[in-house]
Amino acid sequence: MKFTIYQESRPGARPNNQDRVAYSYTRESLLLVVADGMGGHLHGEIAAQIAVQYVVEAFQRAARPLVQDEAMFLSRCLGNAHAAIQDYAFDKNLPEAPRTTIVACLIQKSVAFWAHAGDSRLYLLRRGRIAQQTKDHSRLQMMLDQGLIDEEAAARHPARNRIYSCLGGSHSPQIEFSSPVPLFADDIVAICTDGVWGNLASEDFNTHLAGTNILDSTPGLMDQAERQGGASCDNLTILTMHWHDDYAEAQGPAISTEAMPADGITTRMEGFARPRPGESGGLTDADIEQAISEINLAIQKYSRFDPGK
Amino acid sequence: MPPQVNSPLPPGFQLEQYRIEQQLSLGGFSIVYLATDQEDKPVAIKEYLPNSLALRSGDQIEPQIAEEHQAAFRYGMKCFFEEGRSLARLMHPNVVRVLNFFRANGTVYMVMQFERGRTLQDYIQRNKGQIKERFIRGVFTRMLNGLREVHAHKLLHLDIKPSNIYLRNDGTPVLLDFGAARQTLAQDQPMLKPMYTPGFAPPEQFNDREHLGPWSDIYSTGAAMYACLAGNAPQRSDERLKKDLLEPATKRWAGQYSPQLLEIIDWCLDLDPLRRPQSVYALQKALVSRTRTAVAEVPGTLLGRVVLRLRALTGKA
Repeated sequence: MKFTIYQESRPGARPNNQDRVAYSYTRESLLLVVADGMGGHLHGEIAAQIAVQYVVEAFQRAARPLVQDEAMFLSRCLGNAHAAIQDYAFDKNLPEAPRTTIVACLIQKSVAFWAHAGDSRLYLLRRGRIAQQTKDHSRLQMMLDQGLIDEEAAARHPARNRIYSCLGGSHSPQIEFSSPVPLFADDIVAICTDGVWGNLASEDFNTHLAGTNILDSTPGLMDQAERQGGASCDNLTILTMHWHDDYAEAQGPAISTEAMPADGITTRMEGFARPRPGESGGLTDADIEQAISEINLAIQKYSRFDPGK
Repeated sequence: MPPQVNSPLPPGFQLEQYRIEQQLSLGGFSIVYLATDQEDKPVAIKEYLPNSLALRSGDQIEPQIAEEHQAAFRYGMKCFFEEGRSLARLMHPNVVRVLNFFRANGTVYMVMQFERGRTLQDYIQRNKGQIKERFIRGVFTRMLNGLREVHAHKLLHLDIKPSNIYLRNDGTPVLLDFGAARQTLAQDQPMLKPMYTPGFAPPEQFNDREHLGPWSDIYSTGAAMYACLAGNAPQRSDERLKKDLLEPATKRWAGQYSPQLLEIIDWCLDLDPLRRPQSVYALQKALVSRTRTAVAEVPGTLLGRVVLRLRALTGKA
């Protein structure tokens, strides 16, 4: 597998970030997940954290290096994540189980499967257009589907955040599964929370991301969403993944899993507190060259004072 | 993951303009080689190769780094650069000299002046229980000149021990291995925990690293002096905190060495950082004081000790 991946989460104008995001991959399987803890309820961020952590851990157990029966895996782990949140609430004597949306996408053998509950979205961008998109589990989406309201009115509708399915809470979630979708080279999968898509038009995903290096373009998309979110901007979280041809020349910082050991797993999960990307970034080749030339300069400079010379 | 052993570059290997002669030492963080430059002069080359992150097996040259260790490997490289940066600026006869720094084989190398001689550790092994006071005062006073230079550059050595103090053939000491001189090594990189040597590390190096300071290197210096007399390392400081079994030098070698030297050693080995000499200068002053002033100065009484400390403290200012 070869892919480029980017994830970022921002608190927006909110004091804390209830969004969680992670990806994990083995040599032959890739998992992406985003969850948006529901602020109107108690401990939304705990629900999101439990959900993401549970899904990633289930993946780490199941992917050896392929996950058997993708749809079953997604069904089982989202269902169990829901139960884990309820167990947590029971253990802590919470009056009500916290809630979170979720969208999880599993890719292996160049085929993507995804599942979601709530209004966190997955977009599949192909050849400059949106090829697939999840449907929110919201009243508003139902009204849209029934033709009771148009897109423009929906964007400003006061109840656009009301959703009828999520993990946690007292009701069983209604999880929606995709059919298997084969991926082609240069497809882009983007999963995000409503803080991102709610402040953007669908076309913005295309105009920003299509045909670009997502590592450079995704932050720009986030900037625009955050700008348009203004003073009440919700938490914003996005994960974008650019799928490459297995045989293509590796371009830039693409991840190739070819050389991974069969039992190797790499995971990136954003914690409660995280620095903005770039700050935590490692040493690039240019940094190394610069450090070395700096040191050699210092050696030359100071060796003039060498008492032994 | 079980600790792995990395194979060194083979003798005769041409590394840029240097020819590898043999491996000198192997640490968890690096391998040190003896090599020769174009003019056939010997140099020591330190290769960055943390064995928990990078693997070189058999006859391959470029170490393999697993995808998930790439970030940590690069992070450790930063620390290796820090060591290079600090050493490049230190120009002192009692501190090892860096000559060159380069990148090859997917990792980085630091070329240092090669000194002929042996480590103090070696010397202690060969002369167990026979080490003269004059020798200790001489070696440590000069070694502390180098340490003073280190501290003057706002660095801590943090791994002072007999095996990192090198004695040239003319008897002058050189401070080696600044691999631990990286206080910034973050706690969130468990693969690259700073390495220290039990017995020589002060208690604050084990748990409250925010209290590290010149006094921490001073504890290690005291422990190294203690090891000169005892022939082996003193009890680990973290165990001393639980149950202090370390016999004070003043008791253990009473009558064999001057009480003043023994007092200095115990002073350095105080578990409370604030009660140790607070600067290298204060310690140096105490170490040379006997040769300058009368023996009568050696304080046996509490008052005398207070005076000695006050002197050392005012000497600092």
